[in-house]
Order: sequence, then structure tokens, then C-alpha cells
Amino acid sequence: MDVILLHFLIGISFGCILFLLGTGLSLTMGLMRIVNLSHGALYMVGGYTGLAVAKLTENLVGRNLCFVLGILAGGICAGLLGLILETGFLRRLYKRELDQVLLTIGFVYILTNLVQWVWGPVPQSGVVPSILSGSIPLGGVTFPVFRLAIIAFGLVAAAGLWLFQERTRIGAIVRAGMDNKEMAMALGINLKMVFTGVFALGAFIAGFCGLIGAPLLGINLGIGWDALLLAMIVVIVGGTGSVQGALVGGLVIGLIDAYGKAFFPELAYFTMYIVLIIILLFRPSGLMGRKI
Amino acid sequence: MGKVELAGSNRQPRRGWLFSLAPYIVIVVVLLALPPFLSAYHLSMLTKVLIFAIFAMSLDFIVGYTGLLSLGHAAFLGVAGYAAGILIVRYDIVSFWLVMPLGILAAGIAAAIIGYIALRVSGVYFLLVTLAFGQLLSAAAVKWRAMTGGTDGLVGITRPDLGLPGFTWTGSSYYYLVFLAFVICFFLLYRITKSTFGQTLVGIRENEPRMQCLGYNTWAHKYVAFILAGLFAGVAGVLFAIFYGIMVPGNLGLMTSASVMLMVIIGGAGTLFGPVIGAGFIVVLERFVSDYVPERWPLILGCVFIICVMFMRGGFGIYLSRFWKGMRVRLWKC
Amino acid sequence: MEVLRVDGLSKNFGGLQVFHGLSFTVEAGDKLALIGPNGAGKTTLLNILGGQLPATAGRVHLLGQEITRLAPRHRLHLGLSRSFQLNNLFLNLTLMENILLALEGAERSHFQMLHPIDAQTELVATAQELLESMGLWEKRFDPITTLSYGDQRRMDFALAMVSKPKLLLLDEPSAGLTIAESVSLADTMRQLPKDTALFFCAHDMDLVFNLADQIMVLGSGQIIARGTPYEIQANPKVKEIYLGSEVPSEDVRSS
Repeated sequence: MDVILLHFLIGISFGCILFLLGTGLSLTMGLMRIVNLSHGALYMVGGYTGLAVAKLTENLVGRNLCFVLGILAGGICAGLLGLILETGFLRRLYKRELDQVLLTIGFVYILTNLVQWVWGPVPQSGVVPSILSGSIPLGGVTFPVFRLAIIAFGLVAAAGLWLFQERTRIGAIVRAGMDNKEMAMALGINLKMVFTGVFALGAFIAGFCGLIGAPLLGINLGIGWDALLLAMIVVIVGGTGSVQGALVGGLVIGLIDAYGKAFFPELAYFTMYIVLIIILLFRPSGLMGRKI
Repeated sequence: MGKVELAGSNRQPRRGWLFSLAPYIVIVVVLLALPPFLSAYHLSMLTKVLIFAIFAMSLDFIVGYTGLLSLGHAAFLGVAGYAAGILIVRYDIVSFWLVMPLGILAAGIAAAIIGYIALRVSGVYFLLVTLAFGQLLSAAAVKWRAMTGGTDGLVGITRPDLGLPGFTWTGSSYYYLVFLAFVICFFLLYRITKSTFGQTLVGIRENEPRMQCLGYNTWAHKYVAFILAGLFAGVAGVLFAIFYGIMVPGNLGLMTSASVMLMVIIGGAGTLFGPVIGAGFIVVLERFVSDYVPERWPLILGCVFIICVMFMRGGFGIYLSRFWKGMRVRLWKC
Repeated sequence: MEVLRVDGLSKNFGGLQVFHGLSFTVEAGDKLALIGPNGAGKTTLLNILGGQLPATAGRVHLLGQEITRLAPRHRLHLGLSRSFQLNNLFLNLTLMENILLALEGAERSHFQMLHPIDAQTELVATAQELLESMGLWEKRFDPITTLSYGDQRRMDFALAMVSKPKLLLLDEPSAGLTIAESVSLADTMRQLPKDTALFFCAHDMDLVFNLADQIMVLGSGQIIARGTPYEIQANPKVKEIYLGSEVPSEDVRSS
């Protein structure tokens, strides 16, 4: 029973990171119909920047606040990059969706190399705020506080994003844009700005969780593609265009990965892909997705 | 996605066929005659260009002609390469005439399986699925140490036996083998793309729903095209494995798939010689850059790529194509 | 001979019911126009008949065979062809390539990989006939985008006719055309073989009255009326559908 619970929590905490990673990608795909392949690279940039800021300010404001500053810095940096990418490049290829996807591949090369230029090839390790370090006993197992915090944060973020999607005017505009671009434009909505906003928001979230996810996923040069892959699997399994899709996808993958590693260690890395293939064979639009 | 070429030669007067063949003849002759004049280093680079040219052409078949963006094409290169390598290293099968077909077959089977699943979706989803499969296979290569050597790679892939008495491999002779393979692949792909089947792929790329209404089984066409592309990538894969003597899991993964995609786009999708140019361009540029600022190569590559996507729709291949057409008109008028 | 039979056809989009329990037949050689107010479901019906949309309930039979769940390509080979409201041509390809693709599609096997499509001389000859009859032979190597919209519509129509269908579905064939182009299109359509059934939806009443020998009116999810053009014109229910009921009962031709 303890083992089940332990892996449940591990899976949920990993799932929350996956959810955060997947949300930005999902919204961009649902609204702009492009895959932002640089999503993982933005996560990576956020992680590196956030770590740098956290380390810099550690002595000034202490272990806890520097973490907060770090994740904010990571998010803002990635968000700004996202803004530049969208307005400077993607926007100019409006309606050339496959070309836009290709463009994002180019960004990955550039961003990864820039990060390497600044920080070098050696992997870095993440930091954990002291308030969240250590483990606590929980129903018979000891569980890292940090992971609990991720779960809490993830669920709060999910609720917040869901409210944003369903209950705010901007959220309604985004959903309208996903359903019917022409109609939305005809209603006077400035779709270009919505696109930019959603893209930048997705980038912000990705960069934001760069530092948060560091203890789980690491901060290294390969994480650009790795994070993208994870986000992608979440999006395909959960369905694009909705916060709930990303959440379901993230949690499902997180749990399957955790139990997979526990009970079928040989297959560990593949359980995610197996789920992906099953979903593609039987429900290509994802568990919560609109029909493609 | 690149200028569409008309199938068949109905466009030009029949006498013009000699002119359209001329550049190919010139290139073939040049490539045949080069080796004695090149250093071993440059010869090896040219061999590498031709291998990647085959690989890039195979990708162009689905990207440029069928309109399916795949970021998992390296899977087929890798499967063929590993298959060939495993046969040579683990099973001591040294005959080229066994290794090559089996390698290609392995790639074809992989394409049949992956294609069946990936083609259940389209557009960006297709892209993601192919990407995922590439990574899956790469991870499998890491896991399956016994066969593949894991992250250390499959080493010691020796050049297989051609069965010719008294023959030993040199850089030159391997080059000619690769060149022959390239010519055969180019010729076959040329015939296929200009054929009825090739034209229907273009139709699917341009307007798939209308093709369905006109009576075509578009899924079947895409599937066949995907498998064909996999087979040709397999050719490149076997040659690749033999050339480098080693296969690593990264050869199956995203980095390799992205590189070949870059070659196709920079060279010009939807033309057959475009990817060849793209392969040449990237291989040569990489050697050049690594003499000066090797660590910045991905940055430069990324920038070139973005410039091509944004401003040069159709890549270099289009400019070359227009240039040649213009030349031909002028020559014809003489 | 019955070409098309629709039994109890219903279509819902989620909670929105477009139509319910539609039943009608089309005989060989009928020229049936489908009219109705905007949003009545004309294009939806056409899409269901063409195979682009699945029906929620009901059955469709073509020449006696059930096609309700059949993919569009099979419908073509059974004798059903359609063209689309917005141009659905291969815009970047030349006229010749468009026609050849359509002709090739009507053949049974398409996997020939060794010879170019225009090496099939009968296909090219048929294509030549077709293009010459439309006066477009000189432009055969030009991309579709260089044609006027009217010519593009004629090409669209030609592509749909290439398979010699028993039933031709057209969605707003004269939409976007000038009056002259519309008259020209009607002339072309009148040259259809006598036994080809035509089922088209339109808002252009000139075209409808010019071409159709029967009109079917779709409104509020039902077939309100069916009859000859003059019967429909005089039908009070039809007037109500278009004009509402507070209108004096003069003979107002809806346009």
C-alpha cells in the first residue's frame, strides 16, 4: 500500500510538471495550429536563467525568495523570447503553418547554442528553497516536501488557468479563436494580438517551470528536446486546446510513468510511448480533445 | 512548399529533352572523374555528401511531394544502419549482397509499422508522432545494449565483402559504390516522382479532400509513399553505417531528423536535386565553420535555416532551377 | 430509374438539429434544385450525400446500393460526383494537371509508378477534348490561378463531370459569378447528358428557374415542398419560409 501511495505521489508530482509544460504547447497548437517546437528550448532557457538569477540573489534575499525571483526571471525571460519569436518571425508567416513549424526548429538550434555559449556544456543542478527542502512522513511513506509543493502549485495553477479559460473574457476570446478564426475576426477581435499573447503566455509558463522542474528533470543542454518530447506526449494524449486536456494528459502520463518505473523497470522509459501509441491507434484526438 | 513541377515533358518540345538531360550528364561525368584529383579528406567529404543526398531525397519524397512533414525520418536511416551493423558485427554476415537488402528491408518494415500509426493523424500531429517514434527507437537503441552497444554505439562495422576476387576497399572504391547507389536512387526517384503515382502525391499535397472526391484512396497513397521514403532512407542508412563504421543511438533521433529536414528545406523541397544541393551545402558549410568557430555551428545553421524558411521559399534549388531554365531558353534560341 | 434515395436522414451537430427525417428520391435525368433560407442545411445535406459529413441517422442509396457510410472515393466510382461552393481546385497546378488528375481518379488503379501521367495517350486525348470544348486549350499549361473566377468555376465543373457521373451534386454553382458568366455556366450545364441527374443547391433564382425541372425547398429542418418551378413559386408555405407570414399574398418572385 505504501508503495502504491509513494508512486502515486511521485506520478502526480511529475504529472503536474508535465501539465505545466504541456499547457503552453497545447494552447498554441489549439489556437494557432502550429507546434512550437522551441517550447522545450524555452523551458531550458527559463531553467538556466532562473537558476542564474536565483544564485545571484541568494545572498541578498535568502534561499526562499531567490527561488521565487528565479522562477519569475525564468518565466519573464522565456516570455520575452516568445514575444520576439512570435512578433518578429512567426507573424510574418501568417497562414504558412508548416513553415512556421519549421521556423521553430531553427529557434531550437539557436537557443540551445546561445545557452551553451553563455553557460557552457556542463549540466547544472537545480536549487530547492530551504522552506521546501527535506521530506515529511505521509501516510506511511516519507515524501519530499518539494514534490508536494509542486503538486499543490500545479493544481492551483490548473484551477487558475481553467478559470482564465472558462470564465474570463480573454479566455472566451481565445476559445472563440480556436473554434473559428474567421468568425472571431469578424467579431472585431484582434486575432494577431491574441496569438501573440497566447504564444507569449505559453512561453512564460514554460520558462517559469524551468527552475521548478529542475530537481526532477535537470538543467542541461539536452533538456530542450527532452522537455519538448514530454510536452508533446502530454498534448497528444490529453488533447489540444484546453487546460483540462493538458492536466489529464499530464497526470495520466505522470502516473503511468511512475507505476511503470516501479513495476516494469525494464520498460520504464517506454511506458510513455506505449501509451502514446495506444492513444493514437484508438483515439487520435486525445482523451479530452476535439475531433481533429 | 516549393514550386510545383509538371509531370512529364508535355511542356517542352520533344527535341528539348537533350537539353534537359545535359546538366545531369555533366554532373555525372564530373563526379565520376573527380576522385583522383581529391585528397582523401575531400573525397570522404564528397562521399558523405552523397550519402546524405540520398537520405535527403528520400525525405523530400514525403515532405516536398506528398506534403507530410516528418521529424522522425532518421528512424529509417538508423534502423537500416543498425541492422546492417548488427549483421556484420554480431552475426558475421559479411556479404554486401546480403547486408544491403536486409538493411533496406528492415527500414521498410519500420516504415510500414510507423507509417500505419502515424498516418492516422495529419498535419502537426503527424509531425509529433513521427518525432516521438524517432525518439522511441533511439531510446530502444540505448536500452538494447546487447545488440546495439547502448550509448557507446555499435562499433567495428567493417566494409562488407563485395564477393569480387582480389578486391579491397579504398576510399575511392567506396566512393564509387556510394556514387552508384546515388545515381540509382536518383534515377528511381526521378521516375517515380514524374509518374502517375508521383502526380497523385502532388495532388494529395495540394488538395487532399478533392483527391478523395475524385476517387483516390489518399491514405493508401500516403502510406505507400511513406514506405518508399523509408526504403530509400534505408539505402542511405546502410551506406552510412559502413562509411562511419559505427552507429550510435543519436543517429535515430531528433537531431539527425532535424538535420536532414534542414537539408531538404535549404536545398528546396519538392525538387529532387534541391535536397542534394542542401546536403552538399550543409556538409561543406559545416566543415568550413568547424575550422573557425566549431561551437557556433548550430547557431549558424539555425540562422541560415530561418533565413531560408522566411525569405527563400523553395530554397536554393528554386533559384538553380530558374537559372537553368533561363539558360536553356537562351541556349535553345541560339 | 431511381438514382438517389434518401430515407429518414437526420443530422445533428451536438445539440443543434439541422434536419430530421428527410426522405426523397431523385430519378435519372432529374434536374433538381434545392433551395431554402440561409442555414436551412443545404450545404450540410450536400456534404452528407457527398460523404464529407456523416449522417446522424437515416440512409442514403445510390443506384440501389447503400452508400450511407461509404467514403467519398467509393461514391465516385459508383457514379456520384460533386463540386464545391468555394473553389476546390488544385490552384497551384496547371489546367492540364488538374484535368489529368481528375481523369486518372476515375480509373480504377492509381499506383502506376513508372510512366508519367501524360504518357497515357487516351487520358491526354480526353483532356484535350474537354479543354477545347471549354475554349481553354491554349491555357493548358497555365496555373489555375491565372484564370478568371468564371473560368475556374467552369474548370471545377469540368473536373466533376470527368468521371461521367450518374448523379452530380453542385453547391451554389453560380456563386460569385457575373450574370454573363452565370448564363454561360447554365448553358454548359444544359449540355449535360440527358440521363445525368443533377442535384444542386442555389440562391441564384435565375439559375434555378433556368435549369431546374424540379425544385425542393428545405426549411426548418424539413422538406417544405417539392414540385415544378411554377408550383413552388405559387406555394404559400414557401413564401412564408422566405418572407415570413405578414406579407400580402402577391406573386413575389423571391430573389
